[in-house]
Amino acid sequence: MRLRILAFVSITAFASAAEQPQGQPSPAGQPPAAGQPSVPLPPAPSPPAPGKPSAPAQPGEQPAVPLPPGSPPSQPSVPPGSAQPGVPKSPGAASGATAAAAPVPVKAEDAPRVVRVNVTTQAWDFSRPWGKRAPFTRRAVGAILPGKRVLVSAELVANANYLEFESAEGSNRTPASVLAVDYESNLALLKGDDDEFLTSFKPLDLTEAKVGDTLHIWQLETTGVVLATQGPMTIAEVSRYAMDDSSFLVYRATAALQFRDSSFNLPVLKEGKLVGMLVRYDNPSNSAEIVPSPVIEHFLKDAEQQPYEGFPRTGIVYSPTRDPQLRRFVGLAGKHTGGVLVTDLVKDSPAEQAGIKKGDVVLALDGQAIDQDGHYLDPTYGKLSFTHLVSTRRFHGDTVKLKLLRNGEVSEAEIKVSHRDVASYVIEPYVLDRAPKFFILGGLVLQELSRQYLKEFGKDWEKRAPQELVYFDRYQSDLFKSGPRKLVILNRVLPMASTVGYEELHHLVVQKINGIALQSLEDVPNALANAADGIHKLEFDSEPRVIFLDARTIAAEEAALVQNYRLPATKRLGD
Amino acid sequence: MIRAWLLFLYLLLLSVAAPAAPLEIRKSLARITNTAQEPNYRIPWLPGATGGGSGTGWVVSKDRLMTNAHVVSNARFLTVEKENDPKKYIATVEHIAHDCDLALLKFEDPSFFENTQPLAIGGIPELETTVSVFGYPIGGDRLSVTRGVVSRVDFRTYSHSVVDSHLSIQIDAAINPGNSGGPVLQDGKVVGVAFQGYSGDVAQNVGYMIPTPVIHHFLRDASDGRYDRYMDLSIGTFPLLNPAQRRALGLPSDDRGVMVSSVQSAGSSAGVLEVGDVILAIDGLPVSSDGMVELEGERVQMVEVAERKFLHDGVKLEILRAGKGKNVEVKFDRAFPYTMQANAYEQQPAYILFGGLLFQPLSRNLAAAYQFQSPRVDYYFDFFVTRELYKKHPEVIVLSALLPDALNTYLNEFREGIVESINGTPIKTLKGMAEELAKTPEFYVIEFVGTNRPLVLERKAVEAARERIHKRYNVVDDQNLGETPPVTVAGN
Repeated sequence: MRLRILAFVSITAFASAAEQPQGQPSPAGQPPAAGQPSVPLPPAPSPPAPGKPSAPAQPGEQPAVPLPPGSPPSQPSVPPGSAQPGVPKSPGAASGATAAAAPVPVKAEDAPRVVRVNVTTQAWDFSRPWGKRAPFTRRAVGAILPGKRVLVSAELVANANYLEFESAEGSNRTPASVLAVDYESNLALLKGDDDEFLTSFKPLDLTEAKVGDTLHIWQLETTGVVLATQGPMTIAEVSRYAMDDSSFLVYRATAALQFRDSSFNLPVLKEGKLVGMLVRYDNPSNSAEIVPSPVIEHFLKDAEQQPYEGFPRTGIVYSPTRDPQLRRFVGLAGKHTGGVLVTDLVKDSPAEQAGIKKGDVVLALDGQAIDQDGHYLDPTYGKLSFTHLVSTRRFHGDTVKLKLLRNGEVSEAEIKVSHRDVASYVIEPYVLDRAPKFFILGGLVLQELSRQYLKEFGKDWEKRAPQELVYFDRYQSDLFKSGPRKLVILNRVLPMASTVGYEELHHLVVQKINGIALQSLEDVPNALANAADGIHKLEFDSEPRVIFLDARTIAAEEAALVQNYRLPATKRLGD
Repeated sequence: MIRAWLLFLYLLLLSVAAPAAPLEIRKSLARITNTAQEPNYRIPWLPGATGGGSGTGWVVSKDRLMTNAHVVSNARFLTVEKENDPKKYIATVEHIAHDCDLALLKFEDPSFFENTQPLAIGGIPELETTVSVFGYPIGGDRLSVTRGVVSRVDFRTYSHSVVDSHLSIQIDAAINPGNSGGPVLQDGKVVGVAFQGYSGDVAQNVGYMIPTPVIHHFLRDASDGRYDRYMDLSIGTFPLLNPAQRRALGLPSDDRGVMVSSVQSAGSSAGVLEVGDVILAIDGLPVSSDGMVELEGERVQMVEVAERKFLHDGVKLEILRAGKGKNVEVKFDRAFPYTMQANAYEQQPAYILFGGLLFQPLSRNLAAAYQFQSPRVDYYFDFFVTRELYKKHPEVIVLSALLPDALNTYLNEFREGIVESINGTPIKTLKGMAEELAKTPEFYVIEFVGTNRPLVLERKAVEAARERIHKRYNVVDDQNLGETPPVTVAGN
């Protein structure tokens, strides 16, 4: 509720102040006075992934949602097997196609090279971690690859319960399963349970595309006819992918896509060959974001052998050296052109282990000269971030050679690059296909903090989730350099007799139980065994700092807790 | 029998004499017109926009007028008018309390107080009793009276500073713009000063007045010639309702005691109280497990006891520490650093302009002017007190804007960064930053919190650009270190 100060018959606007509890106000949202300059572009976010520059926010770049197929997540699941004619258009999905750029049907002999993929997903509810959310179905068009395998996006199959292939005209279906999935590059490889299903289909070969090439985005009509919307490829650059923590090469094209069913992801072709997978489309700008063939090739090669290893990194955090003052300061002026300044190293990363230091200047990688912005000259794509040479031209376990400038001397260094395991993060950027861990202590719901948890607060989670936890997630690389391994949080309290007085507590970081520091949720059972005089002592890193629980009351009440709240379990730890 | 009769007569006379008739009230009221200058945090070398408004004041003594702080904040020129007097008198602010929204005005011309009548100050009115609000609100030019009942007595946030909470009385008499600062009367005595309310589309008939304990506290604090502000225990407390918690802390299963859940290291309780202490009594008053005490027959929050204290006063606490009883005393001898989060007045923005980079200390006013996007700046603001960020950063220096020039054109990415150090020297205050920048190294290397990306400026280049930038952007002074005391009002 807003409280207005009613003082003035005022010429200027009323001073209005939002009511805030004492001691913890957030900045009052006062509109700037008339005549003020507009707010400049937000600053570049701090470098998230090692070796990757912080991507400056580009004006107008929206994380566009993939064309929804007409069954948004909140709706009940569509029973598999039901055809979906006349599915209502999702709001905002219809694009304003002009006559000149209208989609056209594809020649009969080129099809079928694609197949419908229907996936029923059921995500875990991280706010009530003992259960799952309502299932829902998404439909996409998958690209058929040699070996009767189908390529789709990883987002499509995240938390999948049931997958199936469906022929283009909808008459034939078979269950399918995931062979390999990589959430960082947003790719998944599937195969059908019935090996014969794809026999009569023709696989697609991969090829690259350059800026200026005409690309064809394929959709399917309900009759099975392939509809191709064409448009020029406008950009090839390294950019942040959906999971927010990794950046890879992306193709961007402009095309006036129309809404069609099964469009969660779409194959993109050039001259009859696959150049990528469309995973994002922004309506107002008609801009398509495509996971390109070099990334797909890397994924497919990696998936040929178990285990799947993933895209490697060096662990170098760097700053461009475009500013002439910075160049003079680090000793780059006159003698060398280009180079990026190493400003940090991810803990225990390959670069750190190879002895790379803050203050080093990376001049070249694998023989490719790096300019002041961190770009090398790619024969196909022109100026491209050098991180592409590491992530997509190399595999986990490969060695890259660096040319370094250190204290005015040029030297060489070798780094054995590796994939950064998601478990190495204190606050994991995604938790998919895995049930959330939890431990309910007398009604206190304890979990490990992850970005997946924060995303439960909705699309606007960065503003709506508890701000301290958002801050911890965002800046974890500098906040938790000396531990813990994971952050244990008290999510909420399910009121019981043992928790009287604590009902209002929520979203607190639990540091210790019974004097034992928690490195992860796995430490909880051990810590509970350490109770003194039958009382558990829990210590938080913020108010109320310390609370106590009666161990005997908790034990006596466990059955009632399970019954009252209909809990299928009171804990889930480790796999 | 006769006694009862006399008593009745006495009461009758009282009730007839009691309410001050509007005619009499006119001698105690005044309309205040404030010409104010609002500071400009985005162009801090300029004086700021002139604006203003009006409110109500009332004669509190033979030579002082009382009103709300927000009526006379940022004043450059104050004029006051009395009923039935054509003259406009020039007033100055003698004392202003931004933490409880009250102010005292004085006049160069003593004739202002001729034919005026100071109003007596009463007590806390009972719920549902009638009160009358006098003032000069919108809807007309002459004295207005509205009447209502006392709806609620509660501890509420005072919007003027937005970080302070005190006793506040809710009434349903209409309080409108212009009423601020005016007296609310019951039986001829002031029972409150009208000061805030809700607009009609949020809540109906909800207005608030500053009650007499707060008025008395302000007057008493100011009586020594300097307003020191409200004292604060600077602790967090947690109710002790859980049986296991009570047992662990060595308490019997009764309804007494709250646990100290935080102690601000820059506050008055630092070194006296510890996290985990149980407060059993404050100044001899037993504290119940929900944090209330009985004060003068009323059940109020424990903090009310601290509310009545002044600088250099103390408060005695009976505590339990690790199961052992102790008696301690907290002395109120220092200011508390949460004013960064409060609305600030009477100040020109502090800043340093260096190489076209504008550095300013974070404050509520600054955040409101810029609407920062950075989660780190948000965090440093929101958790400045609770996470004791003031220990390392007594002033949080933010690079709030850049004035584009060839010198700094590649430095936009550093905007909204918080300064950590310059050339290896940690920066704690704007003054400290100015000292560092006054040195003459070849390069100034500015490091920001959380990142290792240095912002490098070449001294030669900065000096070469200074004139050019100043001229282009009409800069008068390239720094204001914010040491000047609150600005005095003209006309004195």
